[in-house]
Amino acid sequence: MLNMDNAKDLRDVMVETFISAADEGVNLAVLVSDSTSTAKISPFKERFPDRLVNVGIAEQSLVGTAAGMALGGFVAVTTNAAPFLVHRANEQVKNDICYTNTNVKLVGLNAGVCYGALASTHHAIDDVSIMRGFGNIHIFAPSDPLEAEQIFRHALAYDGPVYIRMDSAKFPMLHDESYRFEPGKVDVLRQGGDLSLIAMGSTVHEAVAAADELSEKGIEADVLNISSVRPLDSKTILGSLSKTGCGITVEEHSLHGGIGSLASELVAETGISCRIKRLGFVEGKFAIPGPRNEMRAHVGIDAQGIVRTSMEMVK
Amino acid sequence: MDNPFNKKSQEIVELSALIRKRILAMNCEAGQGHTGADLSETDILASLYFRLLRYSKTDPNHPERDRFILSKGHGVGGYYCTLAQAGLLDESLLKTYLQFDSKLPGHPVRQKTPFVEVNTGALGHGLPIGVGLALAAKKTGRDYTVYVLTGDGELQEGSNWEAAMAASQFKLDNLVWIVDRNRLQLADFTENIMMLKPLNKKMEAFGMSVHVTDGNAPASFIETMESLPANDGKPKVIIANTTKGKGVSFIENQPSWHHRIPKGEELPKALEELGC
Repeated sequence: MLNMDNAKDLRDVMVETFISAADEGVNLAVLVSDSTSTAKISPFKERFPDRLVNVGIAEQSLVGTAAGMALGGFVAVTTNAAPFLVHRANEQVKNDICYTNTNVKLVGLNAGVCYGALASTHHAIDDVSIMRGFGNIHIFAPSDPLEAEQIFRHALAYDGPVYIRMDSAKFPMLHDESYRFEPGKVDVLRQGGDLSLIAMGSTVHEAVAAADELSEKGIEADVLNISSVRPLDSKTILGSLSKTGCGITVEEHSLHGGIGSLASELVAETGISCRIKRLGFVEGKFAIPGPRNEMRAHVGIDAQGIVRTSMEMVK
Repeated sequence: MDNPFNKKSQEIVELSALIRKRILAMNCEAGQGHTGADLSETDILASLYFRLLRYSKTDPNHPERDRFILSKGHGVGGYYCTLAQAGLLDESLLKTYLQFDSKLPGHPVRQKTPFVEVNTGALGHGLPIGVGLALAAKKTGRDYTVYVLTGDGELQEGSNWEAAMAASQFKLDNLVWIVDRNRLQLADFTENIMMLKPLNKKMEAFGMSVHVTDGNAPASFIETMESLPANDGKPKVIIANTTKGKGVSFIENQPSWHHRIPKGEELPKALEELGC
């Protein structure tokens, strides 16, 4: 069981980071598309009412307006549910943010299948795949509150387009206070020699729990947290896969275009001897809606599923 | 900050003829181009760059400059030729239009071309970005004006109406939305495809200050633009009635000339009509 004593909602961390950045002089504007509660943005709005822009239920306008505000000198941040950002405003993301290269931070809230039973209109299991298709946008996915804070701090300081894939529930710390997120670095949470568990976002918690259980069975796993999808630290991923010869990728994402694809591409291109099993949502199918934990169990990205796959692979 | 030329409307008529000549020559040289759209917007662009826009000739990124967004990005030929006519673009570049890795691609790219603010080409993007720029000016106390030039067929994109609501809600009286109302789109006349009428009433219903003028007559266009109400809390819309392909009789109002170029004897005939 996860120790939830120091757990925090990643959105609260996001909003606290916005407030302290604005206090420190960052010329920040936060845009929402009626997603005030989704973003839990009220504390920011109370402190900086002029810095919060609500464009209404209009995601194309949200992203285009953010691009304009960035061109007007603001560090512009959009905060709304990932599916409506990534899918509805896809062309604005491509042209107004990526291609025009505006200083906009796109925060995809409730990404993956956070919305569970609300079904596929509300799921974003292809957001990383879509963002990877655009040339220049940096892609980050925080795993815990500390990393979320550091990713937001980095994104606000970086001059250029950023997508942050956010989980929106409470998560405990995976890191101690000495941890420092670095873009383009894989966070190696645990070192083993038998297999590599490569995970993204909140599924890193599942991978860590699985590694604990595997250890009791005498199997030691590397656990790699891919919080920086672009820029990517391919060297560390390849180093781990070369060592273990056996990798399992874990993501609340389609098997197409996420970190499973990334790892497989690296292995194929370098020709290292390694078997990869990708765990995630089957490509070409919408996710079966239901309670999120059951959805995770169904596709084997919960701790038990990861253990099961690991045992099969490390026979 | 002022317009660096401040030309009279009659001088702008003459400059427009020279710009049109450049457009035809450039498109013929390139072997491609959106000739109809380029000629439709010429007088609007000439009026903006030689009279209305406040900018620095030497500093394309001057923070106090007025912003201009060519939302109808396919009209980029007219835009490049206007910039070249104003000396804002090296004239020799016009010969490279559409070539591999040219500074003058087939739609505006700000990383490539000075004075281009936004990468457009997909329709319905300029106005939301203009809203953001105008809002940024309001929030930072800058007094620049944001001009967005859209086509009329482009208004079938819903994103324009999202932005129109926002512009009105945020009281962006520093936003001037110019519609190049030539009544033609790729396939046919706009009203045959998806009716825009009554455009002025639609705009008014969205809370705009609406002004109808002749977009091919610099005197009328400039008079309209220079008498817009100030500080009234309303975004401005200029419905600029134009003729697609303006200036060349056999190009005017012909849907087939959306992205055709003159061939054979058509070029000298066109130039003769332009009086060049």
